[in-house]
Amino acid sequence: MNATRGHLTALAAIVAAGVAVAFGVRDQVTLELIFTFFLYAVLGQSWNWISGYAGNISFGHAIFFACGAYASGLLVTAGWSPWLAFVSGALAAIVLALLTGFPTLALRGHYFSIATIAVAALVEVTVRVAPGLNGANGFELPIRSGWSALEFADKTNYVLLALALFAAVQLATIGLERSRLGFYLRALRANYAAAESVGIDERRWKLLAFAASAVMASAAGVLYAQDTLFVDPPSVLGLSVSIDIALIGVVGGLGTLWGPAAGALVYVVLAKGVALHVGGSGKGYDLVLYGAIICVIAALRPDGIVGAIVGRQRRARGAAGPDALAAEPT
Amino acid sequence: MEALSTFGQLLVAGLLTGLVFALVAVGLTLVYGVMDVVNFAHGEFVMLAMYAGFGLALLGIGPLVGLPLVSIALFLFGIVVYRLFVRRLLAGPPEASVFGTFGLLVLMQGLAQALFTSDYRSVPNPPFQGTVQLGVFALPQAALVEGLGAIVLTAALFAFIEYSPVGRAMRAVSEDRTAATLMGIDVQRINLLAFGLGAACAGAAGALLLLSNPAFPDVGASFALTAFVVVALGGFGSIAGALLGALIVGVMEVLGGYYLSPELKLVPVYLAYLIVVLARPQGLLGRR
Repeated sequence: MNATRGHLTALAAIVAAGVAVAFGVRDQVTLELIFTFFLYAVLGQSWNWISGYAGNISFGHAIFFACGAYASGLLVTAGWSPWLAFVSGALAAIVLALLTGFPTLALRGHYFSIATIAVAALVEVTVRVAPGLNGANGFELPIRSGWSALEFADKTNYVLLALALFAAVQLATIGLERSRLGFYLRALRANYAAAESVGIDERRWKLLAFAASAVMASAAGVLYAQDTLFVDPPSVLGLSVSIDIALIGVVGGLGTLWGPAAGALVYVVLAKGVALHVGGSGKGYDLVLYGAIICVIAALRPDGIVGAIVGRQRRARGAAGPDALAAEPT
Repeated sequence: MEALSTFGQLLVAGLLTGLVFALVAVGLTLVYGVMDVVNFAHGEFVMLAMYAGFGLALLGIGPLVGLPLVSIALFLFGIVVYRLFVRRLLAGPPEASVFGTFGLLVLMQGLAQALFTSDYRSVPNPPFQGTVQLGVFALPQAALVEGLGAIVLTAALFAFIEYSPVGRAMRAVSEDRTAATLMGIDVQRINLLAFGLGAACAGAAGALLLLSNPAFPDVGASFALTAFVVVALGGFGSIAGALLGALIVGVMEVLGGYYLSPELKLVPVYLAYLIVVLARPQGLLGRR
């Protein structure tokens, strides 16, 4: 209970700080970076539901992000309200999650990971050739302004929207950690055979988590499309998008509440900061730094930044929390 | 008749393509078989080998003379990477080796971009250009040399694993790590050798691939993605399976590219992976 109150307080503080920054900062580039931070924190958390809590490492999560982004592109260019994209993108994401998750979620380890790469590649090809999705050209959204068009000249409102989505996703994850679903997922991750032997239906609960995760990523996709006003296969469906999402989850700490936010912070500061200051992402310095950090974390602290902090607190207290066993990486 | 000869030509082209895939896949499956790790950076080892081969070519050393040099260099590289890095991943949870080797992939691609830029580097005046007329089939010489190299390499590796004492120890480790330790096998040393050998295979693959492909930072990824499918198809850890899987994938890709469209050439390949991994997770020739 105490831990939950602490998390809620921290979240309230972040929301307050986010609102203050959204209205206080006038530099559009900084605002765009903060928007990107919240967006990636949402994507990382979405990935964390299935790959962290449930333990199925996905390298194809961009397909759900693309559901929202393409829903936006399709609806807006057809003259509909972009707000509908939250619903239709989510529906498409749920269908895609159930369709691809049903056969693959029972696969273990790298079998699942490579399957997600294959599924994502198939989805990308489908989008490229499917009629009505504009193939390689994608969608360019018309420039408008206002809440009904969900487009703004000033980045403040984008930060507020991403912040709201982040808060909702964090609240849902706080709920997950305390819910039956959360306990089942962690039990399945720790030892699926033991979990199934006490009657936990692996496919059912993982599908539920996968669908929820897909909805979050889709919502992030809508905001992305409304911000950049451009959607095409490489920018929302490419393997590199999926890898970025996964690395954010991994760097912060698999299966932790604040891990994705920590990972997104590292990502935005490093990837964008290096790109801005050392010049262009084409030179590879951002990849060098990012790759090196992942290597160091994997070799020394595979439980990520937040995992390392939590582990230290636990040892300091000298006692393991109630979920220490399930949270322990296996 | 016309259609039949086209099909035959495609089939041969597909088999040759498959042999190139096998070249990349055997090292991957060897490392997996022994230490249960999918090295996601295997394609980047191939990329490194291609740059090494390119450097030798600039010094006037041809790809076939360079091949053993590049293989030895990559063997040593693999030993260093294992000692410094992979050893630690193995001590962690299984996901550590998944994202750890993925981190290595990102790091190596970034280094290649930073050091060599994203330009395509082709060996000046490479040997084995032109085609050979075999009956009705016109076959590119470079592909024939690469295919021959793949057969020799796979056979050598297979013989090494089957008949040499070290190979026997590797099989013992892959079957039962604990029992192997109890029999007096130094598992750490076997892991080290297997990882070095896997890297040496990537070295040979890179040196040969340079005959028909330019070197660039992302070149490994395009081969590795297919190699994962190949290895899963044949059965993780099975060298004969990797060869069989590679031939199947090569033929499917070439036929798919011709009869569907070049854009769709990987669709049957990925579908085949999903079907095999769901219906027969141990792959065609793998054991459970």
